[in-house]
Amino acid sequence: MSNSHLFLKPAFITTPGQNGVGRYFCQLQRVVLKFCKNNGSSRGMREFIENKLIDFVKETPEVAVYMKPRRHRTPIIRAEYLNGDTQWVNARNFTEDEILKWLQLLKTQSSDKTGIRLRKLLHTDHPSVQGPWTPYTFRDPKLNLAEFPSPELAGPHVVETTATEELLEMYKNQQIEDVNEKRAE
Amino acid sequence: MDNAEYQHKVSKLSLRNGQNYSRSLGQAGNLLSSITKRYSTIIASTPYEIVDEDKETNVAKDIIKKINDQIAQSQEGRLFAIVHLAGKQFRITEGDVLVVEGYWPPNCGDKISLDKVLLVGASDFTLIGRPLVQRGLVNIEATVIEKTLSHTKTHFRKKRRKQYKRIHFYKIPQTYLRINTVKVTGELNNPPEVRGLEKAIF
Repeated sequence: MSNSHLFLKPAFITTPGQNGVGRYFCQLQRVVLKFCKNNGSSRGMREFIENKLIDFVKETPEVAVYMKPRRHRTPIIRAEYLNGDTQWVNARNFTEDEILKWLQLLKTQSSDKTGIRLRKLLHTDHPSVQGPWTPYTFRDPKLNLAEFPSPELAGPHVVETTATEELLEMYKNQQIEDVNEKRAE
Repeated sequence: MDNAEYQHKVSKLSLRNGQNYSRSLGQAGNLLSSITKRYSTIIASTPYEIVDEDKETNVAKDIIKKINDQIAQSQEGRLFAIVHLAGKQFRITEGDVLVVEGYWPPNCGDKISLDKVLLVGASDFTLIGRPLVQRGLVNIEATVIEKTLSHTKTHFRKKRRKQYKRIHFYKIPQTYLRINTVKVTGELNNPPEVRGLEKAIF
């Protein structure tokens, strides 16, 4: 079993240049498609260049696309981002659709994300608007004036009524009913 | 005073038991009961009290008016909201970046408004939805800034003594969202008229 996942670089969310605050800006600067003109492993790349590259370039005028033929070598996609990252994708035996999919991914990324594990899925500059919760939040301010030692606060907070208190309550209810009856008469 | 008139008056005055009321006060109630135990000659306060039926609605109206005034004068300050998005709840304010995991159709540069708002809060007030705050009250806009893949995750299965071992690697699609605005645009407690019911089939 590989241990590569254990050694990923942990990172928080970063966005280059406050992207998206005003408008969105594509972070991919340049793409180089390297391929062989007659090798079989480059067939998908050659088909992509013939059929789909023009459409891709028309869709994304902000990305410069270069092509570099070289003899008897595996085709690769090399992407350069605005922050200086370069990323290679090995495109050996890829079909033209696969290449298009990888290009779309490179286009929508902001940097080389391989080997980076996100620690949090949210970034905020304002972690609390109403103030962080403390044990004294929403408590009775009367507690500020409490004098210690205080037998009331020392013991456990018992909400249940004792049997004596229940009986007293019943007695009082009875009294109220009596009064009501008398008044009704 | 004849009987009917008296009944009328009694119905206006709701009864509350003094002991019950003191219990709800917690610590103070305990103190009170302990005092009454000690000095049994002291009689608890009168079992009758006048309850104003409109008191609570008046308080609510007052609070709603204050919040509406604050929003109208745009003195509410920074707002935060809890939104339900792609099966998860996020606490967001203006300028946040959040990551939606899994396949999600919006593309880079798309502007979307988040409508499933569960809660909106400012430093002075909190509007809690039941379960959502009224539609159109809050305007939350976001921009998709990035679509990428997560790190490679490993799914390893093994059964002992059964010669069974599988290892799978996978990545999850991730979408980064920038929150552009969190604003209260509607009026509190004044929902828009319900329309489109002529077409609905019940």
